[in-house]
Amino acid sequence: MIQTIRAAGSFWLLRVFGSTIGRKLVMAVTGLGLCGFLIMHLAGNLLLYVGAEEYNHYADTLHAQAILLTIAEIGLLILFVGHIVLAFTTDRENSAARPVGYAMKQTKQPPSGMAAPASSIMMATGIVVLLFLLLHLADFRFSALGIRKHDGDDHFTKAVNILRDPLSAGVYIVGSLVLGYHVLHGFQSAFQTLGFNHPKYTPIIKFLSGLFAATVALGFGSFPLWAWAIQK
Amino acid sequence: MSTAQTAYLNGRVPDGPIAGKWEKCKNEMKLVSPSNKRKYDIIVVGTGLAGGAAAASLAELGYNVKSFCFQDSARRAHSIAAQGGINAAKNYQNDGDSVWRLFYDTVKGGDFRSREANVYRLAEVSANIIDQCVAQGVPFAREYGGVLANRTFGGALVSRTFYARGQTGQQLLLGAYSALMRQVHHGKVKLFTRREMLDLVVVDGVARGIVCRNLVNGQLESYAAHAVLLCTGGYGNAYYLATYAKGSNVTAAWRAYKRGAFFANPCYTQIHPTCIPVTGDYQSKLTLMSESLRNDGRVWVPLKKDDGRSPDQIPDGERDYYLERRYPTYGNMVARDVASRAAKERCDSGFGVGSGGQAVFLDFADAIKRDGEATIRAKYGNLFHMYQKITAENPYQAPMRIYPAMHYTMGGLWVDYYLQSTIPGMFVLGEANFSDHGSNRLGASALMQGLADGYFMAPYTVGDHLASRKLPAVTTDHPEFRRCIDETRTRVETMLKVNGRRSVDSFHRELGKLLWDYCGMARNAKGLETAIQKIRGLREEFWSNVRVLGSGNSLNQDLEHAGRVADFLEFGEVLARDALARNESCGGHFREEFQTPDNDTLRDDANFCHVAAWEYAGADKDPIRRVEPLEFKEVPLTQRSYK
Amino acid sequence: MSDKLNLTLKIWRQASPGAAGEFKSYKLYDISTDMSFLEMLDVLNEELIQKNDEPVAFDHDCREGICGMCNLMIDGQAHGPDLETTTCQLHMRRFRNGDTIVIEPWRARAFPVLKDLIVDRSAFDRIMQAGGFVSVNTGNAPDGNAILVDKDDADQAMDAATCIGCGACVAACKNASAMLFVAAKVSQYALLPQGRPERTARVQNMVAQMDQEGFGGCTNTNECEAACPAGISVSNIARLNREYLRATLTGAK
Repeated sequence: MIQTIRAAGSFWLLRVFGSTIGRKLVMAVTGLGLCGFLIMHLAGNLLLYVGAEEYNHYADTLHAQAILLTIAEIGLLILFVGHIVLAFTTDRENSAARPVGYAMKQTKQPPSGMAAPASSIMMATGIVVLLFLLLHLADFRFSALGIRKHDGDDHFTKAVNILRDPLSAGVYIVGSLVLGYHVLHGFQSAFQTLGFNHPKYTPIIKFLSGLFAATVALGFGSFPLWAWAIQK
Repeated sequence: MSTAQTAYLNGRVPDGPIAGKWEKCKNEMKLVSPSNKRKYDIIVVGTGLAGGAAAASLAELGYNVKSFCFQDSARRAHSIAAQGGINAAKNYQNDGDSVWRLFYDTVKGGDFRSREANVYRLAEVSANIIDQCVAQGVPFAREYGGVLANRTFGGALVSRTFYARGQTGQQLLLGAYSALMRQVHHGKVKLFTRREMLDLVVVDGVARGIVCRNLVNGQLESYAAHAVLLCTGGYGNAYYLATYAKGSNVTAAWRAYKRGAFFANPCYTQIHPTCIPVTGDYQSKLTLMSESLRNDGRVWVPLKKDDGRSPDQIPDGERDYYLERRYPTYGNMVARDVASRAAKERCDSGFGVGSGGQAVFLDFADAIKRDGEATIRAKYGNLFHMYQKITAENPYQAPMRIYPAMHYTMGGLWVDYYLQSTIPGMFVLGEANFSDHGSNRLGASALMQGLADGYFMAPYTVGDHLASRKLPAVTTDHPEFRRCIDETRTRVETMLKVNGRRSVDSFHRELGKLLWDYCGMARNAKGLETAIQKIRGLREEFWSNVRVLGSGNSLNQDLEHAGRVADFLEFGEVLARDALARNESCGGHFREEFQTPDNDTLRDDANFCHVAAWEYAGADKDPIRRVEPLEFKEVPLTQRSYK
Repeated sequence: MSDKLNLTLKIWRQASPGAAGEFKSYKLYDISTDMSFLEMLDVLNEELIQKNDEPVAFDHDCREGICGMCNLMIDGQAHGPDLETTTCQLHMRRFRNGDTIVIEPWRARAFPVLKDLIVDRSAFDRIMQAGGFVSVNTGNAPDGNAILVDKDDADQAMDAATCIGCGACVAACKNASAMLFVAAKVSQYALLPQGRPERTARVQNMVAQMDQEGFGGCTNTNECEAACPAGISVSNIARLNREYLRATLTGAK
């Protein structure tokens, strides 16, 4: 597919999508877009902590904007699909760039303190996040997993019921943590890819990347715990 | 050959005052019309500063250039290892520099054994080189105002050396390489990497092509052209331990010699004073520490013989800063040959330091105290880093230990003012020729000469050759090409068939030791005679006892090395012969019989103010020594002094 | 001062470009710790020749860390364990008695093996041909000081220009990406006024050639920077991305 794009590369935009850097730029832009979505999503969800009324009001208001919501959802879909399709194609191409591997391979980077640096397992964390996303959509967006579905529940009750389920709580906690690890590299990496690297600001971006990753992981990961705590 | 019949070689130096010679020459040279340039093929062997610059410049003019190198890329030639800088008579520092002074310093530095007109031309174009390299994007060091920075360098009293940290050669070479790559892109240069030239093809007395071995698949290939440029560097690896790249060799030049090119002044070899000393028998090469270190480092040995104390335990009063003592004006900045011999003298007298006593100190303690470690690091960081890598000692804390090592060869194929060898159509550029440095080269002059030859000489003089000679069409089907290929094949096959007991490397090491011992920093007639006998014996043994494994039809590094060593074994004898015949001392050629009372070189201008060029006379015959007299009209012959 | 080592070497041997290769084990005794890594291989080859075994082919030339010819994967690390060090400048004092050392060639689709540890890196030359130059003919140049360059820019350009073209960045990258190599050259010219007139076409052409050679893409793992013997920073890759983005958005083509 990439080859055909390259062959058809007389149109500049196609040529960009056909190049390694061009595709990385798209990865970065879609990734940052998705980071923006995560912030909005988290902000909305935090209303759970404020109270059922506020949360339900927010959800109802959101759902009342049918056209805008559809447009936003299509936009989100494009971001997700773009990000995911490019991830798989570039990953395949990158593997093809080394058909014969090494018998032994070690990093020369200083130890990061983690078993695997976030940057080296983006594909793995990405796949976990994708599975988590599909489950999450099935749960909340399409209510496809009927076991916890009660007609007439309000948004708040529905959310709490799902989050309270032990199996799904586990999935949500793990999913949130992996998502955090994914964006830990992804957020700052996007700036590098977009050409933003400066001795003054890059350390700040790296710090913000950590802050953002922690916020995402702890923010989303806290909901099942909270739902469990308010049971009784 | 006409030159062989005349008593003296004619350097074809233009008439007139020295300052106008090159201009006059350029005005009088014939030009090739733009539409005809594309009809000419030019072979350039070697992709160092001279070769890369010449190939790119000739291609820019419109010629079809074929560029050859034995490395895997045209960016790797050993010019890349030059550290300190490149001289140019810009006088940006307002310290009294001029073309004349650069010319004067170079003639004097060469101990009055170079061709004045060539040196003047070199000084003249030196400024253009800097301009050209800056325009190419070479990141020379800058001052805060954005102008180019300069440093001082050995053998000069003005600050005229341009530099790019300690990697000037690398940056200049990458500049030439980028110009070359641009011409490959434009289709004007065809690049042949991993090819080694093994013969020169001469048709009707004119150089018309080369034979080379494709080092990847072993195939012998031949290429025809209207001119051949050898830019194949120096022959210092004859000494085995040298600051040269491991692949540097004399083969291309030697093959050309055997086809009729004269080899000039092979005994003019430069031993560089500041190299990292030898540590063991396994040593494969020596590493240079840039001469620029002598700007801030002070050279010393203990006053006491066999002083075993560590340097920090030796108080200032018990140190002998022997260069400052002997040469108060220039101090640590004396010319290279002088500094090298002084180090050898101290070590031979028992004052050497380190294990084996074959080293002297190069101490930065005073400079660090004066300027701070950060300043010293900014100037020499990469050199200090390299020193520490190799020796596991920290030169910021303890003085470096250094010793002289084979570094550069001023001798080379004889060329006239047009850089043309005694074979018409064959030009020799850069270190491969003999022309500009006399018997000793000053620091930061090699880069200058390589680029001057490549960018600013050859593009004119090669054109003159093409325009002034009728060159019938010759292809590689010509019988002479076939003969050369057959001879090369026979030679390669013979080498593979010997199947003796000794490795190629062992022969190379032995030859190197012979040359270093008998024909190194100090030479005498008896030693040189011994060397000649021993080299002959070693050569005979090589052809009966060398072991080269593998086949000729594949990548075979041992076979490549064998071919180079075989040529060094022939060449080494001529080197020693030249040293024996030159009954005087000058520059890098120091004959113990001819020295001043304080151990400096004692020239014999009455009998040896000439270039000696050796002519091949046949396989079993002694080579013939030809002479080109040297005249010094501008810089009067004087005893060189750095006091 | 110097100690002796006994070592086991596991070296990739491959007769020719298409041939199947395999690891072979060799024992070496009494290796001085003052030796360089390549001198240790010289000793091995000398022994192999004495045993009538073909010596191991490996690329090397200047042996002082500047030509970029040497290229070995040593125990899974490009140029071995030392930072900012080429294989030729790696010394045996870095190893311990009894060590087993695994030596492999660079592995990348764009760097096919020619023999044993030697690979073909001509892809780098072709990338340079695509735009790694300033279009100025010999004789065109104005006076050197007619072009003023901010010292910081000159220093940064020099930092980028020190690339030795060895390919360690490609070898170490999990994607066999050549981004650091390309970035170094694009950066050098982007930082200097001399390079500005051609910056748009340069970055586009060099990146297109890089892709055509079959190198992978950059995923910002920074392994190239850690492996680079010349210490080229990944900030150059950011600059390359920036140049590419700029060329894409503002270039006429």
